[in-house]
Amino acid sequence: MTSGAPRTDRLLSHGRDSGLTGRRALRWGSGCGCVVVLLGSLGHAAAPSQWTVEVLMGLLKAQREHSVPFQEATYSSLLTKPLIAHGVLKFVPPDRLEKLITAPSHEQYVVEGNRVTFESERKGVKRTISLEEYPALRSFVEAFRSSLNGDVVQLYQVYEVTLEGSREEWTLLLRPREPSGKSVVDYILFTGSEGRVATIAIRAPDGDRSVMTILRGAGR
Amino acid sequence: MNRNLSIPLLWVLLMAGGMWLSAMHVSVHSELSDLLPEGTTRTQGLLLTQVRSGLAGRLMLLALEGGTPDEMAQVSRELSERLRASGQFALVENGAQGLTAQDRAIVFQARYLLSPRIGAETFSSESLRKALEQRLDDLRSPFAPLIKETIPADPTGEFLTILTAWSAEDRPAKHRGVWMSKDHSKALLVVETKVAGFDADAQAAVQEEIRHTFAVLAGQRAHLRLLMTGPGVFAVESKQTIEQEAWRLSTAAAALVLCFLYASYGSMALVLLSLIPLTAGIMAGMLAVQGWFGFIHGITLGFGITLLGVVDDYPIHLFSHLSSRGSVSAVMREIWPTMRLGVLTTAIGFAALLFAGFPALTQLGLFAVTGILTAALVTRWVLPTFVPDGFVPRPVWPAFHGELERLTRMKPVIPAAIVLACSTLLWSHTPLWQTDLASLSPVSEAKKQLDRQLRAEMGAPDVRDLLVIEGQTEEDVLQYAEVVDANLRPLRTSGTIAGYDLISNALPSRRTQQNRQSHLPERSVLMRNLDHALTGLHFSPGLFTPFVAAVESARTQPPLQRTTFEGTALGARMNSLLFEQGRSWMAVVPLRGVADREQLAAGVRNWNMPAVTYLDLKEESNRLMTAYRNRTSVIVVCGLFVIGVVLTIGQTSGSLLGPILFPIMSALAVVAAVLNLSGESLSLFHIASFLLVIGLGLDYALFFNRLEGSEEGRLRTLYGLLVCSTTTILVFGLLATSSIPVLHAIGITAALGSFCCLLFAGMMAKKVPDVS
Repeated sequence: MTSGAPRTDRLLSHGRDSGLTGRRALRWGSGCGCVVVLLGSLGHAAAPSQWTVEVLMGLLKAQREHSVPFQEATYSSLLTKPLIAHGVLKFVPPDRLEKLITAPSHEQYVVEGNRVTFESERKGVKRTISLEEYPALRSFVEAFRSSLNGDVVQLYQVYEVTLEGSREEWTLLLRPREPSGKSVVDYILFTGSEGRVATIAIRAPDGDRSVMTILRGAGR
Repeated sequence: MNRNLSIPLLWVLLMAGGMWLSAMHVSVHSELSDLLPEGTTRTQGLLLTQVRSGLAGRLMLLALEGGTPDEMAQVSRELSERLRASGQFALVENGAQGLTAQDRAIVFQARYLLSPRIGAETFSSESLRKALEQRLDDLRSPFAPLIKETIPADPTGEFLTILTAWSAEDRPAKHRGVWMSKDHSKALLVVETKVAGFDADAQAAVQEEIRHTFAVLAGQRAHLRLLMTGPGVFAVESKQTIEQEAWRLSTAAAALVLCFLYASYGSMALVLLSLIPLTAGIMAGMLAVQGWFGFIHGITLGFGITLLGVVDDYPIHLFSHLSSRGSVSAVMREIWPTMRLGVLTTAIGFAALLFAGFPALTQLGLFAVTGILTAALVTRWVLPTFVPDGFVPRPVWPAFHGELERLTRMKPVIPAAIVLACSTLLWSHTPLWQTDLASLSPVSEAKKQLDRQLRAEMGAPDVRDLLVIEGQTEEDVLQYAEVVDANLRPLRTSGTIAGYDLISNALPSRRTQQNRQSHLPERSVLMRNLDHALTGLHFSPGLFTPFVAAVESARTQPPLQRTTFEGTALGARMNSLLFEQGRSWMAVVPLRGVADREQLAAGVRNWNMPAVTYLDLKEESNRLMTAYRNRTSVIVVCGLFVIGVVLTIGQTSGSLLGPILFPIMSALAVVAAVLNLSGESLSLFHIASFLLVIGLGLDYALFFNRLEGSEEGRLRTLYGLLVCSTTTILVFGLLATSSIPVLHAIGITAALGSFCCLLFAGMMAKKVPDVS
């Protein structure tokens, strides 16, 4: 089922020369997006009659867990084996999102309001950037924040959204609408059952991808 | 008869020739910078070079307002793209752009010569291991797509290190990737024009192009507005103001003088006759300035016309002494000694301006001296031949002498006025001296306000603090700059300054580059270290072949030069930070956010680097203005002395010196006090005008104290004197309304001064024994 929300050039508009910024932002955005979708994924909602994106979003929104552990595998053409990382995703209402990597080394991404803070133990850096400076990233974060609030319209504005499968076993496919988005993200694929996300795969156009598996039962 | 005809004929021919010359050869300039002096010290020279053509002058801030933030961001992007494509700008920034593809390629290729991190340890197996682990983190990070493509050739991340080091700090807020004011009401851009900031014509063309490009882009969105500010914008506005004012003042002054003359005597013939010396004087002044300077400035022209109000004294002196008894030539000969003395003293007053060393004043001085002398000579030898016999202009208002008698009884007012004036000056809160170079500029307060506002929002305070580094060669300057960098870093850490743009960070000296090259290992060593570092990391085999090759070729790569960047955006930027100046090279280091100027100046002194000068442009320009003002003051005093000598020689009766000089000096004190009371601080232009007041005052005092044969003659002399001084006051009063500070200063001082001189000279005038 594909929902054809109207394109809004406004949201992702930027010129050619900002490709660099755009790419970074998209990848960023997709990461943050995962957090939000995921955080809304735990728990059950009352069964509606039809299985639609709106219903799924409703389910994801209904329960918000503040912390879930994950394992992430990164496959790259530069590597002979995938990189495995472990960490925790956190959501602190109303608008603080965190991706914390605990192994192999400590790393942290925090989105709070309009600020994104990145901290790396191995690089010994802590940087804060403003979402204002990365328009694509900002629209992603806004879109996913609104999905937390059940605002499906925003999600449609940024992505072509395809929901397949059944309520018991679904896949949600997000494809960026804008060219700048497409240049760095081919698609984002969520799998899950009911209101629970099982995996999030992000694929870049060159075939590199990362797969995040939510570790059920380890968290709570 | 022959003689009577030959002089007018000669005069007509000369005037026609002069007019032809003026029409063909006089070129009028209106750039403010044409009036700036050369500076007396090396530092002032540096300052003025910077003001005239430096980076500070070429920066222009643009703002878009009136639309939604998204709309403005869109237009900001399109505008910056088009402006960059126009090729008129060394730099166009709106927050969206990093380096151009061309510059990135050059920097990437030269990364091992440019990166400040290259040292003896950079390629050891331990360092490589750490770097490789960080690249694994990068691959997992959201930044992976950005970094991935550079990993095989640059695993140590030198390219990113360089870019990070170059990205400027303290930048304005952003919206959709472009700079916006904090409240998102304006999109902000900064451009650096290739043409100098003070080249008003070129600036006007560039600004017109910006406006046009914006108008095309805004198109339907008529609610969007474009704001521009910066020295270049000011230069254009100054030029326009000066052009308009010169025209307005000339026309108004001419009309005012002629109308007043007609009103005073009711004689058209008198007005026409007066025009003979007036036009000759002005034309001679114009041609003299053109001949000497090669151009005449709009300000000079605007001022020069007001000379009408001064030189009309000479024909009026003549007319007011005419009577039906003697011939015109005889009357002229009779009053010539007095007139000659007045002319000489006035001319000496103006001649002093010639030595002020300030082109603005020199031009005015030359114009005035030539004009006055010419007008006087024409009055003496040409005018009488035109005056018909029996031409005796009658005062329109003959009943004024009663007032005059009352005036002499008010003599005690003068000492009182002086005491009052002095105490005002002593206890006033208004600073006595005006030292700001900016006070020269006729730019409106609204424009200055906009400039301050945009600069604050841009986080780009006035380019006020600079380091200037000088050296024999480019390489010398770059090496000094590297030392300066090491010295500035602690100042930035301690917060004395917020940041700086230094050429050597973008373009290291040859020595530094060669030093870095010496740290690059041989191929075999690098491969051994790399193999060791790669143990247990699952990078694809052979992935880092490009890296090994790049290091190998960097070992023998020729050092990066300024010319490598020729024609690129980065190259243009470099050229504004490092350039050839005469026979030496010079780097300019703009300092941002200077918190403590004294500490900075002391710090720079402690570096013991004679090649480095710290310039506080504001402080320096103030010092410059003060130096010229002091010089002008000395000249005024010298001028006064010379006038005194001439008077003593010229005046047969020494007892008259008191009644002549005293009112003038009193007038000066009163003028200074009145100006100060009205909130005006004295600039060098006020001071220079004091000489003008002295010259005018002398003329009045001389004629006030002239012994006339009859009461009727005396009354007519006095009436003429009143007319003369009123035209002077009117014309300078007109000048005082000018929005050009130089003209305003001269106008207000001269108008007030001649009024006071007239008043005081009238009060002090010797009572003439009743001869009749």
